[in-house]
Amino acid sequence: MKSYTSGKEETMNPDDLKYHKEHTWVKVSGKRGTIGITDYAQDALGDIVYIDLPETDISVEANSEISEIESTKATSSVISPVSGKIIKVNEELSESPEIINEDPYSKGWIAVVELENPDELDSLMDSSEYEKYTEEEQK
Amino acid sequence: MRLAILGAGPGGYVAAIKAAQLGAEVIVIEDDEVGGTCLNWGCIPTKTLIASSEVFLKAKELEQFGIDLKGEITPILAKIMARKNRVVSTQVKGIRGLLKSWGIALKEGHGVLTSAREINVNLKDGRREQIEADRIIIATGSRPARISAFPFDGEKIISSNEAVNLAEIPKSLLIIGAGAIGCEFACIYRELGAEVTMVETLPRAVATEDDEISDLLEKELKKKKIKLFTDSRVDRVDVRNDDVHAFLPDGQELVTEKVLVSIGRTMNSDKIGAEAIGIKRGKRGEILVNDRMETSIPGVYAVGDVIGGMMLAHVASKEGLVAVGNIMGTGEIMDYSVVPAAIFTSPEIASVGLREHQAVEKGIKIRIGRFPFRALGKAHAIGEISGLIKLIANASTDKIVGAHIIGPHASDLIHEYAVSMKNGLTVRDVSGTIHAHPTLSEGLMEAAEDVHGEAIHVPKK
Repeated sequence: MKSYTSGKEETMNPDDLKYHKEHTWVKVSGKRGTIGITDYAQDALGDIVYIDLPETDISVEANSEISEIESTKATSSVISPVSGKIIKVNEELSESPEIINEDPYSKGWIAVVELENPDELDSLMDSSEYEKYTEEEQK
Repeated sequence: MRLAILGAGPGGYVAAIKAAQLGAEVIVIEDDEVGGTCLNWGCIPTKTLIASSEVFLKAKELEQFGIDLKGEITPILAKIMARKNRVVSTQVKGIRGLLKSWGIALKEGHGVLTSAREINVNLKDGRREQIEADRIIIATGSRPARISAFPFDGEKIISSNEAVNLAEIPKSLLIIGAGAIGCEFACIYRELGAEVTMVETLPRAVATEDDEISDLLEKELKKKKIKLFTDSRVDRVDVRNDDVHAFLPDGQELVTEKVLVSIGRTMNSDKIGAEAIGIKRGKRGEILVNDRMETSIPGVYAVGDVIGGMMLAHVASKEGLVAVGNIMGTGEIMDYSVVPAAIFTSPEIASVGLREHQAVEKGIKIRIGRFPFRALGKAHAIGEISGLIKLIANASTDKIVGAHIIGPHASDLIHEYAVSMKNGLTVRDVSGTIHAHPTLSEGLMEAAEDVHGEAIHVPKK
């Protein structure tokens, strides 16, 4: 009844992002970080039907839930890779959450935070480390 | 045996028919319409409105089901209400027919007890009639609670009685109280297109449900873009021109077209002579009864909403049967341990037995099984995948302590667990029973399996 395989071509994980072990990414630009979920995560979740977007102006801590995603298969927490204040959320996702499936690394971004502690970035993985990590997870 | 019953709602009319079946001469007194709140103002009207709002919702999703519809789909509330009125009047006729077939006399008017054996009826046609009986059952029900801060005007500030009879879909609606009634109306009017905001003093919507269930409902309300303020309250409302302004303690001002006040219900125990003849009442006006449904005055019984407790139609009916059993000498004691209850939000909520926190407070060692609807093929087929089945079992006896469902057809599904519970079946009795595929009931089996960590369609934990 359930299938975790997908016929989709694998998307390369971009090099300019940092990755969290809970399958989220952050793209840093100055003091701001844009957060989303990885291609691996969207593929595992399957068709996304709803996202509970965070509110702006609230603070989020690294390794804590920033949002919740519902797919046809599961309900799953989105774990923030970094700490900071949320300054922008992708409102487009509330009408069309499937954008995350289609374009997890660009149009499917979830929120922008003002980084509180840029040192946290050092504990995150780069794309090749994350690739190895997901290969391990799949075994 | 001559039995007089005050009130022809689901408590009164069911008691009347039962008593007639057992050979009593029965007189029923009703000052509104047979069927009571349930049939005329509550259960049946709201479920009929929900049927319309759900058809509308499905119509908007036709494309997802592969059906192309050209043109606009518009809900016309006047027509929806006309359908509701037809459904109600069919049922009313049905009950009138049943009463007649059992030779039950229906007196239409307001009855007041003048002694433990007499009721004075002010008939609708202006006459008065004194009715004598060997036994009396009070089944006068309840009405929407009103408080002075929110004076009902039937137009801008309304109760559920007006909400089932609106002429037009309001553009915006503030609902004070996010209990069962408030949440049902929130779903109905939101789905029909109103902007809906709810304010609740308790920390959660449907706060009497299991915590996990009310969390999930809150999420579903959010998906529908129903705004919910919990741990809050409306201090004051002001009707100004065409709008109602409501003020929250933090200074927020909510402006809506109408305000629906659904903060609970008041027992109809005040205008029936109960106090005058010495029937004891509780703090909230509820008539006090023993477990045989007899009041403090021997020979006078009371059932349904008027005694408070679980204010549910089916509980009133059962209480009516118990009262009649005791009047007719078959003897029976009211047992509230297994009462299924449903809230017709979308998705529906249903429960039986203890909530998780109640089981823990009672010191029961519990084991919980959960199963999400989205893991069922049938849920995907019908396009309703949100929801959860939560089964709470006694860890040592494996018997069902409570069950809580939010999801499609929850109100129908709950009864498998209720029957199991009432008859002392174990969780393994449920999980060991073959359930047909593909059905939503399979989820009940899987949740039972999950109590023992044996569910098939759940990933390894």
